Amino acid sequence: MRPGRRALLAAGAMLALPRAGRAERPVADATGRRIAVPDRIAHVFPAGPPAAILLYTLAPDLLLGWPARPPSPAEAAFLTPEAAALPRIGRLTGRDNTANAEAVLASRPDLVLDYGSVAPTFVSLAERVQGQTGLPTLLLDGALKKIPETYRLLGTILDRVEAAEARAGAAERILAQAREAAVRLQAQGRPRVLYVRGPRGLETGLAGSINTEIIEFAGAENVAGRALGPGGLAQISMEQVLAWNPDWVIAIHPDFPAHARQDPLWRSLPAVQAGRLVLAPGLPFGWVDFPPSVNRLLGLLWLPVLFGVHPVAGLAEAVTAFHALFYHRRPEPAQVEALLRPALPRT
Amino acid sequence: MAMTGRARPARSRGALAWGLALAALLAAFLAALAVGQFPIAPGELPAILLSRVQGPAATVFWNIRLPRVAAAMLVGAALAAAGAAFQGMFRNPLASPDLLGVTAGASLGAVLGIFLGLPVAAVQGLAFAGGIAAVVAVAVLASAVRGQGDPVLVLILAGIALGALIGAAISLLKILADPYNQLPAITFWLLGTLSAATRGDILAAAPPALLGLLGLVLLRWRLNLLTLGEDEARALGVNTGALRAGAVAAATLATAAVTALAGAVGWIGLVVPHAARLLGGPDLRRLIPLSMLLGAAFLLAVDTLARSAGRLEVPLGILTAILGTPLFLWLLARARRGGGGP
Amino acid sequence: MTAPLLEARGLAIGHGRRVVAEGISLSLVPGRVLCLLGPNGGGKTTLLRTLLGLIPPLAGEVRLSGAEMARLPRREVALRLAYVPQAAPGGFAYAAREVVAMGRAARLPLLTAPGARDREVAEAALARLGIAHLADRPVTELSGGERQLVLIARALAQEAACLVMDEPTASLDFGNQALVLRQVRTLAERDGLGVLMTTHHPDHAFLVADEAALLHGGALTGPAAPEALITAARLRETYGVDTVIGTVETPSGPRRVCAPVVASSGAAS
Repeated sequence: MRPGRRALLAAGAMLALPRAGRAERPVADATGRRIAVPDRIAHVFPAGPPAAILLYTLAPDLLLGWPARPPSPAEAAFLTPEAAALPRIGRLTGRDNTANAEAVLASRPDLVLDYGSVAPTFVSLAERVQGQTGLPTLLLDGALKKIPETYRLLGTILDRVEAAEARAGAAERILAQAREAAVRLQAQGRPRVLYVRGPRGLETGLAGSINTEIIEFAGAENVAGRALGPGGLAQISMEQVLAWNPDWVIAIHPDFPAHARQDPLWRSLPAVQAGRLVLAPGLPFGWVDFPPSVNRLLGLLWLPVLFGVHPVAGLAEAVTAFHALFYHRRPEPAQVEALLRPALPRT
Repeated sequence: MAMTGRARPARSRGALAWGLALAALLAAFLAALAVGQFPIAPGELPAILLSRVQGPAATVFWNIRLPRVAAAMLVGAALAAAGAAFQGMFRNPLASPDLLGVTAGASLGAVLGIFLGLPVAAVQGLAFAGGIAAVVAVAVLASAVRGQGDPVLVLILAGIALGALIGAAISLLKILADPYNQLPAITFWLLGTLSAATRGDILAAAPPALLGLLGLVLLRWRLNLLTLGEDEARALGVNTGALRAGAVAAATLATAAVTALAGAVGWIGLVVPHAARLLGGPDLRRLIPLSMLLGAAFLLAVDTLARSAGRLEVPLGILTAILGTPLFLWLLARARRGGGGP
Repeated sequence: MTAPLLEARGLAIGHGRRVVAEGISLSLVPGRVLCLLGPNGGGKTTLLRTLLGLIPPLAGEVRLSGAEMARLPRREVALRLAYVPQAAPGGFAYAAREVVAMGRAARLPLLTAPGARDREVAEAALARLGIAHLADRPVTELSGGERQLVLIARALAQEAACLVMDEPTASLDFGNQALVLRQVRTLAERDGLGVLMTTHHPDHAFLVADEAALLHGGALTGPAAPEALITAARLRETYGVDTVIGTVETPSGPRRVCAPVVASSGAAS
């Protein structure tokens, strides 16, 4: 029996090791793998930042920590105090873990949650994590359109069906409204958007990349061409920017708007002159990307307003409601106003 | 830096060297098994070893800690032995296993695999193939360009040239890669890590690595002859071209295999042979096995530190450089003071 | 009549297209010492490397015991011909006995290190040259003369019948020069080896050589008896130096010596 048991461990069994004395039930993740998880789940290890955010929105009490870094004070102002105090725990990618596998096991999670691409490579990586740690490792689909479905699945897995339904419903409404706004924009003329990163604004996300997915979903046209490779980012020059002459410039670095307003080249852009240079909010998590998780739903609330399809009145209310439901903390009106002011065109 | 040594009766020096190296390895091995972020009390070890216990502690020991310890020893031994062989063969104290581009080629293979989104096994396979291909390319390049020149010099220069080209290709891939999933993976790989080493990985890397090491061990006396220089070696009856090719093949096989496993771990192939030479002298008959022991011990110590120093894993390449540099400087000072230079 | 140990016939030596010397013919038989003289840059090193098979001849051939060297694998060459390079400082700190044991390479299979028999041969070679007491010392710590003797011992360990030595007395002090030269003579007379040595000193030819040859101006003069080859006229033509050649009495009989004339031009007559 001994060699057999060792072989079971060594082969990276599909089934997780039974916890002594705990009841189990089988669940399926987004890839169709059937995995046994404990009946009662008390701790979940998020494999990366997107999973951490997803988990925080649905079941913040199960979150063990933040894979990349703990929230900064500015971010913490929008999160629950307990979550803001959680430590950094590293990433479990299956090939270059920054989380030490032993430390992960020492914190006794009941399962590992990964959220993102479900391509075969990532399935095999999830298998590796499971094989190495012996913990059930579940991979959920991070596609934008699948957010409602993902919430429902996660709700089943974590036994938070009602809470999951509330969020899935909210997500469905946001997606539907954004889709409808996009159809209208298609009819009346799609706005041409330049998405810029960095304090000087010389890096952009290419069309089709996950960085700008919501911009295109909301009906705009990304002036930067199609992606060259799986990477979605590219360096750009001012010459290209001036040639493109976008209708809107959406930045994500807080220092960029000030730079653009005093740089003569940027100032010469009609969009900047007309006040159509906006800063995507980034607290507690970015509204456009980084990381590409459910935080992007806020971007879908905002962009139709930005492009003039939905009315401005009601945006603050919607944002506040989103924060209350998803981030478990109702922000003060002043906080919301501070988020939105640089995000809307100057009139 | 001359590769000289101090005068001490050969036999006692040998015994002392082996003793120290074995002791170091044993100490590192026991420490590595005992240390880790998951608390396993020493009292639990016998039960785990005899398979009478299952549960998190046993998982940690068999699935995480023991494979990692085995991997660290294999990688350290292979890189150190290859470095010792190259330093002798090319008569260059700054030679490392990467002299002919095996690490550069393996890096390109792995980065390409990560860029294409391939599963881990394919990435490792590409790394291995890339390492071998790079050295073959260097050999072909060198023989095409050489003419009447010194074969060794041309080989080294071809290695440097190809390495530079490969570096440019890797940089290009880094720019094109997806910053979420791929770039961190690429960065980590280029620094070297054993954080995700599984039994399967080690079982795949072990045969070529051990085969390469066997080759080096079997050839080690004859490689001494290459240290005399091309003319003298040939005059002694050595087929220098064939011997060099064989030794390079063995070293490359071992290095490519462990690089595919652990990523591009630097410094070991350069520094450990110098330490071994200080202990046991330049004779490759002793130097190669001694380097294997010391290399295994060193990387074992480094990896133990990498996985337990903080909450997060530190890539191996960072630690080998931080620990290797002062060690290298100390060895340099020792060699100057002790044996003197030419 | 058995073939000479080492024979060159109509040899042209050089690199690529550049011919350094041509029409070279010489032969070496057991028990004889052949001294090769010539100025710097005259091609002595190139000739040596061609005779050792390290570079190919541009014309003609080299034969070892009758066999064409070009057709022999390196191992075969090493079994018949041993090379003693100039002892140079630096290098790896191998023990003297290890260096000598390296001479056994041609007689060992690929993956085999020297065994008991090989060690015996190495010890015997060291003893033959009177340096057995240096066996365990690292060669980097030996004097120039001692190091040269170790290299000779290594060549002896090869158990080849023919020895080719490249300026074995270069950079040695007076005592060590005599030591090495004595050994060269002994190896030929007592042990029956054929020895070819290059040297800068015509006097050495008188001391140890049975035959001498002079490589200069793209051609080889000789081999001939040293007394016949080394004349004042020839030395003036080759080295541009006036010499006096005379005879001195030594306990073992008369011997010729060759001394350069060095007079300052401002001497009072």
